Amino acid sequence: MTGKLVLGNLTRRPLRTAATAVAVAVEVSLILLVVGLTQGMVREVAKRIEGVGADILVQPPSSSVLLAFSGAPMPASLGQRLAALEGVRAVAPVLVQPNTSHGLDLIYGIDPQSFDAVSDGFVFHEGHGLRQPDDVLVDDWYARARHLHAGQTLRLLDHDFHIAGVVEHGKGARIFVRLDRLQELTGARDRVSLFFVRCQRPELTPTVMEKIRSLLPRHQIRPVRQYLSLMTATSLPGLDVFVRSMIGLGVAVGFLVIFLAMYTAIVERRREIAILKSLGASRAYIAGAFLVEALSIAAAGLGVGLGLSYALRGLILYLFPTLSIEIAPPWVLRAAALAVLAAALGSAYPAWLASRKDPLEALACE
Amino acid sequence: MHRSEPIVRTENLWKIYRTGRVEVPALRGVNLEIYPGEFVAIMGPSGCGKSTLLYVIGGLTPPTRGRVLLDGNDLASMDDGARTRLRRHKVGFVFQRFNLLPTLDARGNIAIAQYIHGNGYDPHRFEVVTRLLGLTDRLHHRPAELSGGEQQRVAIARAIINEPRLLLADEPTGSLDSQSSAIVLEMLRELNRQLGQTIVLITHNPEAAALADRILHMRDGVVVDGVPAD
Repeated sequence: MTGKLVLGNLTRRPLRTAATAVAVAVEVSLILLVVGLTQGMVREVAKRIEGVGADILVQPPSSSVLLAFSGAPMPASLGQRLAALEGVRAVAPVLVQPNTSHGLDLIYGIDPQSFDAVSDGFVFHEGHGLRQPDDVLVDDWYARARHLHAGQTLRLLDHDFHIAGVVEHGKGARIFVRLDRLQELTGARDRVSLFFVRCQRPELTPTVMEKIRSLLPRHQIRPVRQYLSLMTATSLPGLDVFVRSMIGLGVAVGFLVIFLAMYTAIVERRREIAILKSLGASRAYIAGAFLVEALSIAAAGLGVGLGLSYALRGLILYLFPTLSIEIAPPWVLRAAALAVLAAALGSAYPAWLASRKDPLEALACE
Repeated sequence: MHRSEPIVRTENLWKIYRTGRVEVPALRGVNLEIYPGEFVAIMGPSGCGKSTLLYVIGGLTPPTRGRVLLDGNDLASMDDGARTRLRRHKVGFVFQRFNLLPTLDARGNIAIAQYIHGNGYDPHRFEVVTRLLGLTDRLHHRPAELSGGEQQRVAIARAIINEPRLLLADEPTGSLDSQSSAIVLEMLRELNRQLGQTIVLITHNPEAAALADRILHMRDGVVVDGVPAD
């Protein structure tokens, strides 16, 4: 019977119910998309780093796990000393340069020979490797997003490059140019951002890391396998604050909209509350009916929000194919819990207020 | 001369409304007794405290001073929760404006009282009451689809569905035409005669009051006399 009463109240003001549910849906979508986008992008970058095929990543002291924030403070000659260590099979120096001409992408300046030695070479969809100074390789996702093909010109860093080939994605960056050309264009002559180190056998990784630490005690030396676990939205300080802020904003929106909807409902239903009280309905019954109503709206909003999130994910990925959005089940559960929490908190005070309404106030208005 | 204990007894009952610093006494020392099976009408001019008396007797609001004994329970010493439980089990209200829940149909409006009562839906009792009040064909209609008389009959059905010890009716014919009023009053009379339902009826209408066993007159917050109806 309470269900009928709640359903009746929900359908009595369909526009208000729908608007409130949509607000909850926006809350859920905001949480899922912000988290999904950050998690997806970060993990996709991590997977690409892992996909290079190196065992160890060597970065300068105090450098960020986010390669886009790395400078080029290491001398390229360090690579020769690393390559001389026992157990090392190959070392690939890389200069990382952010490119903001079409969104944010990383350009890897690589030495084709050493990079191939570490990564076992690119898989080509079109064209060939970096042969000329102004050659550039782009991965298939980037090429699809920009409608690029081998033989075309690509302007990067205010310089025209010739697209030598389109390669399979998953080898660190989406754009690769020759190391010396990138050093020249960025004024970082003989400097690099990082070294990918490949061991003779994967099980030698800890031993080689120890040797590198002895050689470069203040440098960041990480096994590439660890990189994937480090690259999460919550382990990156700035990103973590941003994600938490957006989640907080979403919860606040849900809370306020539910609060206002239920508060106005109580003002509107003074007489109904008084009737229920005259029938002997307890405070808990009346508060419970309002809570169930708010939670029903939250449940509807949650369903719409999930659908909206997947629809927006599809749209975003269609418009921006190089992005990655990861809507993970644990975050779906968290978003659901946050939506329910916001609805419960938003309706708690109005429900309490309803339960304490003096029935005489409404009935005496006759 | 009544042999049984009164179902309602008030002793020096006061109710004072406070609006800011202003005190408005609505009841000024009411003393009355109502016995099981009685049909009592309360008459008086507007603002004399009739409705307030009804709400205090029914436990919707606590008295300011004095005692109200409802079936032996002193409402003045009860908290809101205890008065709510007592109201749930012993009192039925009928209001002038029907006060049906607009989102439920007639069946829902009656059945919700059973659910709130705590014993759940009792189909037998439901059938008896709705047949007695001539509602069996109108149960799937919402209040907005019912005439005033039908709405008031639904309200009466809701008030008596849990077999309350006391039925309190506040101007139940005040919003009805004369034909519907006659039907509703006749039904109240029949409830009293057939089922022995104790009824307190507030009315301005002398013809309605004439159906009662006893008429109490109120003025300025006190009962000024009590006479048997003709």
